[in-house]
Amino acid sequence: MLDFLQAVSDGVLFGATYALIGIGFTLVFGVMHKINMAYAAASIGAAYSGLLLLEVMAGAPPAAVFACAFLAGGLLGWVVYLACFHFIPLSHPLATLMSTVGMLLLIDEVVVHATDGMPQNYPAMFDDVMLHAGEFTLRGDLLLVFGVCVAAMACLLALLYRTRLGLATRAVSQQPIAAQLCGIQVAQVNAITFVITGLLGGLAGAMIGASVGTLSPLLSGPLTVKGLVVTVIGGLGSIPGAIVAGLLVGGFENVFQLYRGVTERDLYVMLLLFAFLVFRPGGIFAPRGGRD
Amino acid sequence: MKKLALAVALALAAGGTLAQEKTVRISGFGAKTGPVRSFGINSEAAMLAAADLINKGGGVRLADGSKARIVVDFYDDACNAEQGISVIRRIAGTDALVAIGPTCSNVAEPLFGILQKKVDDPGDTGLQFPVFTDVAIKIGLARISEWAFRNVPNEMTMYSSLFYWLRQKYPDLKTVWGGVEEDFAHSRTTWHVVMKDRATANNFQVLGESKWLLADTNFATQVREMKKANADIIAISAHPFSMCGALKEMQRQGVKPKVLVGLTSSSSLETLQGCAKQAQGMIIPTSFAPVNKEAKFAAEQTAKFKGTADLHSMAAWENMFILKQVMESERISGDKSQIQADRRKIRDGLAKLKVTKGLLGDTKRTDDREADKPYLFVQARGNEWVVLHNPL
Amino acid sequence: MDFYFGLIQLIGVHTLLGLSAYIVLLTGQVSLAQAAFYAIGAYVSGMLTVLAEWHIVPALAVGGLAGAAAACAVGFPALRVKGLMLVIATLAFGEGVRIFFFNFDYQIAKGDIKVGPLGGEGFRQIRFFPENGWTTFDVMLFIWLFVVLVMALLWWFDRSRYGAVLRAVGEDEVAAQSVGVNLTAVKVSAMTVGGAIAGIAGCLYAHYTTHIEHASFNVLVATFAIAYPIVGGLQSVFGTLAAVVFVQGFLVEGLRELGDWRNLLFGALIVLAMNLRPQGLFWRRGA
Repeated sequence: MLDFLQAVSDGVLFGATYALIGIGFTLVFGVMHKINMAYAAASIGAAYSGLLLLEVMAGAPPAAVFACAFLAGGLLGWVVYLACFHFIPLSHPLATLMSTVGMLLLIDEVVVHATDGMPQNYPAMFDDVMLHAGEFTLRGDLLLVFGVCVAAMACLLALLYRTRLGLATRAVSQQPIAAQLCGIQVAQVNAITFVITGLLGGLAGAMIGASVGTLSPLLSGPLTVKGLVVTVIGGLGSIPGAIVAGLLVGGFENVFQLYRGVTERDLYVMLLLFAFLVFRPGGIFAPRGGRD
Repeated sequence: MKKLALAVALALAAGGTLAQEKTVRISGFGAKTGPVRSFGINSEAAMLAAADLINKGGGVRLADGSKARIVVDFYDDACNAEQGISVIRRIAGTDALVAIGPTCSNVAEPLFGILQKKVDDPGDTGLQFPVFTDVAIKIGLARISEWAFRNVPNEMTMYSSLFYWLRQKYPDLKTVWGGVEEDFAHSRTTWHVVMKDRATANNFQVLGESKWLLADTNFATQVREMKKANADIIAISAHPFSMCGALKEMQRQGVKPKVLVGLTSSSSLETLQGCAKQAQGMIIPTSFAPVNKEAKFAAEQTAKFKGTADLHSMAAWENMFILKQVMESERISGDKSQIQADRRKIRDGLAKLKVTKGLLGDTKRTDDREADKPYLFVQARGNEWVVLHNPL
Repeated sequence: MDFYFGLIQLIGVHTLLGLSAYIVLLTGQVSLAQAAFYAIGAYVSGMLTVLAEWHIVPALAVGGLAGAAAACAVGFPALRVKGLMLVIATLAFGEGVRIFFFNFDYQIAKGDIKVGPLGGEGFRQIRFFPENGWTTFDVMLFIWLFVVLVMALLWWFDRSRYGAVLRAVGEDEVAAQSVGVNLTAVKVSAMTVGGAIAGIAGCLYAHYTTHIEHASFNVLVATFAIAYPIVGGLQSVFGTLAAVVFVQGFLVEGLRELGDWRNLLFGALIVLAMNLRPQGLFWRRGA
């Protein structure tokens, strides 16, 4: 039982990073009805950019590295928007799917060129803290990651539901043409959405780097897959859904890793996804009718 | 790097070396795309450095007594099987006499598969081109084709010796626990086939293993198993990225084995770049360390071509000199119209070798075209790998 | 010359892989499961030629059928979802199949060595072609025989009522249904044909490389399967061929001489191509 609880808590805490990546996918989907395949790669790329700070300022505190990754993420989000979405007409969804795949490969390769593909040590906060309750332990750094993720999500929700920008974003996501008629500049809102998801991605990348302790271009592939799975389980376009699904997938995979071994672990994650597709295709918080 | 090769060639030509017209081409190939890019860069640098040295010494002596300069080029196979096959066919289509590569075992395996299995078998239309591998290390691959040769360390011997040494040095240690990267051909084989077997053979009790995947990020569950087992020795068969992740988790959970053993390929700069602090004390058998004058010199020369000397790239360095020797002893013509005959001579020459000269001493060649290289044990201390023990 | 023959073989295999996604894309479905059918074809036919010592032709037929059967089985449940949900559902299926082969062992002793699939270590020595004296040129012709057959079949589909129905479903499902098109039949049949083509491609791939392992059938391969028809354009089967030549012939092999720039240009040129020609490379106005 202790093993089970431990596996769940480890997994759920780590799942916070899946949730952040899932939110990025879901937000772009909500606004543009498109998938940004380059998102996880850009997030990892942003985390690497944070390391640039250590190049110019050796011994910079981890928090500054995270901030640098956060900002680089925003910039990368904007670049991805320009390169993959801005110039491609909305009527060609497959073309944007492919352009983001191209971007994914490009970002990964730029990282490989910059580092020769060698894993890079990533700074962490509270990584020497371990909370004990008898046999049961909690990682201090993961609690921080979890806290940062929750705070970021709260900020995001506040931004979407409490500001004019958020109102415009939601308007575009629901009725792009009507929003345009009301004087909302759709292209601008789209670009801003990418910057916001990019910022979030940069933070997610930094948190992943911090919790793993090492960055490698190997990370972006599995994260893309997990992020997409989280997006679907949470329901396309649903932010609370992505959060809950991220934590759920994190816990679920860790439990199956405990009982069925690492080679079968991801098989069960895929089965979980199928279960959702069959029994609850709208995701955890299925929207009340309307869009698919 | 191509430009560099050209520049070197031009400089040498301008310097008025012997036999300006005659050249022999040795092609390298390996991964320069993706997470293993550093391997390709290092191998290429070592090959260029070795060629530079050989050419400065006059080049290769041909059958007619004239001298030929060695030309090196290097192709990127992106650690991808299809690209590896295309690359070897491309190389076979040039005037290259032999190829050195590849980086990845998952490229080497299909690549050796398209080579002719047995020489002089007219029924087998496989490619007839000698390949002399420097990096791809998964055990037993050269057996696939008689055109495939390898100068990679024999992990069976190395871990055998390592566990034997541990048995002598720490007689009170009893148990071993493994950590294995389950989805990567090399690391997986090394644990399940090599380490486990060799530890048992030296009277250690293998309690079990924790498994993870190449790109895994969360090692909490695996390290917990490790902690429960509380083995004296932990042997990790994984490449630097996931090994660093696991080591960091071990530190968090306070898992401190009495001895930490690592995978041959991890005795490189990558590990120190990713997690020098956590890797402290890790013992790895390796076929290269800059311990003598020759080895130091090779490392310096390779550094001039912007590469790092490690067990992989120095195999490429050794291969160049072995090939020079074979070309001379087999009296290749160097004539562009005799390429296939020269390739065959090189193959036969390589097959004949019983012993070759390596940077750490003599390497025995086995009947199945593999090497039994000298090795030593290194340990991570501070920001470098230092020699812990020389068993030979 | 061997190099060019080998490259043409590879282009042939990838064209088949792309065409398997092409017919599914015509119905408006984006399937990332093609790599799974490709894997099934590869493992099934490889086991038949190596373990059962069959000739390649029947092995290829069985590989194709296995791919078709798997695709048909996936087709029905996958119909419940569409759009991006389908993309991810098929991706999950593809990953599931890959993980299955990662855990799949079936070895028998043959002479002094054991052959057959061995989980994470893969399946080696699928050497039907060289062992039976086929030259690179022969293999190239063999592969292209199937490429031409499949292209002709799909081209004929495009000219027939069936092709019109496929495209009608792809353009507007509701409209197609309202004129009496049976959506289930159309989508599942397209998926099944695609699965058969991918199975054949997988068989040829396994015998081309002689060694397969789970990682040869990852998400990236699935992505390339759909990338070919998308980059080439869905107007005709030649778009897929053009895209494979562009990607494998130009981006991968043609740029090899550029050395270090090649891998950077790969992604960048795909982004550029989609910006310049969002309808695909091979696209004519009004055709």
